[in-house]
Parts: sequence; C-alpha cells; structure tokens
Amino acid sequence: MPSAFLPGLREALGAPGVAMAATFLAFGAAVQEAGLSPGWALLACWGIYGMPGQLVLVQAAATGWAGGVGAAVMGAVAVNARFLPMAVSITPVLGANSRWRLLPAVPFIAVTPWAAAMRALPAVARPERVSWFLGFGLTSWVVAGLAALSGYHLAGAMGAEARAALLFVNPLYYALLLAADLDRPAPRRAVLCGAAAASLALLLPAATALLAAGLVGGTLAFLLGRRRGAG
Amino acid sequence: MAPADLALAATALACLALRLAGVWLAGGLSTEHPAIAWATAVAQATLAAFVTLAIVAPAGALAEVPLAARLAGLGLGVAVCLGFGRRMLPALLAGLAAMLLVRALLA
Repeated sequence: MPSAFLPGLREALGAPGVAMAATFLAFGAAVQEAGLSPGWALLACWGIYGMPGQLVLVQAAATGWAGGVGAAVMGAVAVNARFLPMAVSITPVLGANSRWRLLPAVPFIAVTPWAAAMRALPAVARPERVSWFLGFGLTSWVVAGLAALSGYHLAGAMGAEARAALLFVNPLYYALLLAADLDRPAPRRAVLCGAAAASLALLLPAATALLAAGLVGGTLAFLLGRRRGAG
Repeated sequence: MAPADLALAATALACLALRLAGVWLAGGLSTEHPAIAWATAVAQATLAAFVTLAIVAPAGALAEVPLAARLAGLGLGVAVCLGFGRRMLPALLAGLAAMLLVRALLA
C-alpha cells in the first residue's frame, strides 16, 4: 500500500500553505521589529506553532516585557489552550493502536493540521493516517519557518498596511475552516455557541475570555446536541 | 537567560504539555465517545470565539484595519466558501481582496 505521507504533503501546499505563509510572513516582520533574532522567530514557529500565542509573546517583547515574562507566557498559553481539546478530538481519528505511535505527530497538533485532518482522514485507511498527518504537519512546519524567516528579512520593505493585511489572513482562514463545516449540525452548533460566547470578552480579560468562551460555548453546543439526539 | 528566550521556552513547553495531555487523555477512546464529542465542540467553539474577537475587537496591527473592512473580508470570504463548493483558496483571496478594497475606499 502506498504511504499517505505524500498526499498529506500535497494537501498542505494548497490553501493551508498560502494562509500559513501569509500569516508567518507578518509574524517574521513583527519579530524583527521587536528587536529579536531570526533564530527566535524560527524556534517560536516550531516550538509554539500556534499563531495567536506567538503574537502575544512578540507584542510583549515589543513593549520590553513591561507586564512581566510570567504574564506574557500565561497569556500566550491561554490563547493557545485549544491545543488540549484539539489533541483529545484528533487522537481517535488518527487511528493508532498505541499512544506511543502518536508521539511524532504531537508537535503538529494545531488549528490548520487539525482542521485538515478532521476533514481528510476519515477517507484515509486507518494504518496510513499518522503518515498522512506527518506529511501535512512537516510540510506546514517548513512553510511556516521559511515564511517567518522571509518576513524577518523583508520587514523593512513591508509597510504597516501590508503587515496588517497579512495578519488578517489568519482569522479569515480560521473562519473559512469553520464555515466549511457549517452544513453538519454538531460543528454548526459549536461555531454558533462559541461566537455568541465570545461576548464574555465584555466581562473578562482577553485571554481568560477566550478560554471561558470555548468552554461555555462548546459545552452548551455539546449539551444541545445530546438533547437533540435523545429527542 | 534573556527574557525573550525564557518566555519562548516556557510557552513552547506548556504548549507541548497541552498537546501531550490531550493525546494521553483520549488514548483508547473511540470517535463516538461523548468525551471526544465534547472536546471537539470545545475546540470548535474556542476557534469560533477567537475568530469573532479577532474580527470584532482585534489587538495589535490588525486593529488599524477599519471594522467595516474586516467585516467585508469575512463576509465575502465565507460567502465564496459556501457558494463555491468549499474551495478554500478562492474564498481566501476573495475575502482578502474585499478587505483591501473596503480599506482603500475608507482611507
């Protein structure tokens, strides 16, 4: 049976690659502007691999860590806390018999590979799924790293308007990933409840609000789905 | 250790721990298990909340793009995605073009 690594790789070079390259270009430019090194930009891409958290750190660095390193780290982790439920939800889909076989896939669990895998993997043979995910994840990593380095070195040529436009691609792409699932009832409920729960940001600080909105919105969507299923 | 390196190392370790915890917690459960359905709903809801906040009340450089331009980009992108067979790349480019156009018109 041919390995699914190459199909995963090819999938990552389409729209996910374009969206990722745009956002990581802007990230690289922001790192340069904050006075950090290109090595830091690359390690942040590969070590954190979650754009909202990366941006929290760069913004903190740009202010000279005025709020303290601890607060910046907590903010970055809170805004990337979705990695936990994403890892839970993708694990059975990856179809490995033991947790150890999943270890190489762990660093790639992030929005873009997760969304792509949840769509594509049900059609991939179970023994091939980890290979597919590794093909997608590794390719995305390389694209992200190269884009961040390019952004770092092109920062001087990029105006504030161009940078803002590139940063807009990140939430836009996430929105499209969610929109593509709107015809299925369970994701539709989760998206609508999550968007409504975002209004918690009026009451809570930004990082906490995101965590709370995800938990409240997701739990509400889950309970509504159970009621519908039972009725 | 410089503050930037310390912050990066701590954040990367915490993010790795979150991913490992998720894989460990879900090990042995099937896709039909209620805990998996709940976690998927929480992940999707968090993402939807993130998108909502990033479009309506963004921080950083994105805040300099007018709200009307952000909403136009989101609206056209989603419309193209839903209207043209969930094809991501045309939808992404259309959304970005709409944002740029409205921003230019308002400038």
